[in-house]
Amino acid sequence: MAFPDEEEPDFSDVKSGSSSSAEAPKGEAVTRTYTVVGGDSLSKIAKKIYGDAGRWREIFDANKDTIKNPDLIHPGQVLKIPGA
Amino acid sequence: MKTFRPAAMLALVAAVALGACAKKEPPPPPPTPIPAPTAVPTPVPFKVKDVDLGKSIGDDKKIKDAAAAFAPKDTIYAAVSSEGAAAKATLKARWTFGAKNQVVNEETRDIAPMGPAVTEFHIAKPSGWPVGKYKLEVSADGASVATKDFEVKK
Repeated sequence: MAFPDEEEPDFSDVKSGSSSSAEAPKGEAVTRTYTVVGGDSLSKIAKKIYGDAGRWREIFDANKDTIKNPDLIHPGQVLKIPGA
Repeated sequence: MKTFRPAAMLALVAAVALGACAKKEPPPPPPTPIPAPTAVPTPVPFKVKDVDLGKSIGDDKKIKDAAAAFAPKDTIYAAVSSEGAAAKATLKARWTFGAKNQVVNEETRDIAPMGPAVTEFHIAKPSGWPVGKYKLEVSADGASVATKDFEVKK
């Protein structure tokens, strides 16, 4: 039985990917997004996606319309991932 | 005594010659049947046909070994089979855990299919998946089109 205050598992180290037998739309790079989960930070996400935590600024720059403070992101927030 | 009439003779010769030269009109060719108008195939609109889960995929992106239960260290693949054409279609895979639907991962991919296509999404967790029940929801252009339940067991 699950208790209401039971701690949620940490999925911040989940690695993901995708590919398709169909082409990407012409003139567009493949769009990839990432949904923030609990425990995430931009550097954690950069590490997860690029393998390099130092590339967090690329994610920040691509999401300046929704992220005002790079230290403040929220679970459920959907981020654009450039060049992934 | 008969009199020779050159004009009459000439007319006779001409009539015989004309008769010999005149060719019979060939019978008119049978009417060419008009082919029935062939239906121009209308483009099939983009549609997700099926979603399969498994532990690996082939070169064609299709699931090689389908599964609904996984081990904690497995990479989990979802193959989204679609048909139809679209200049741009957006597929999204949203993976959640447990009754609270805790978000595990969410990924979108834009494709421009010209016909049948398979798009795969995969997730892995090096530290191991927590045991329990999971759900994958696949959306196409913002509309949910399929859900798949699966389980991670020790």
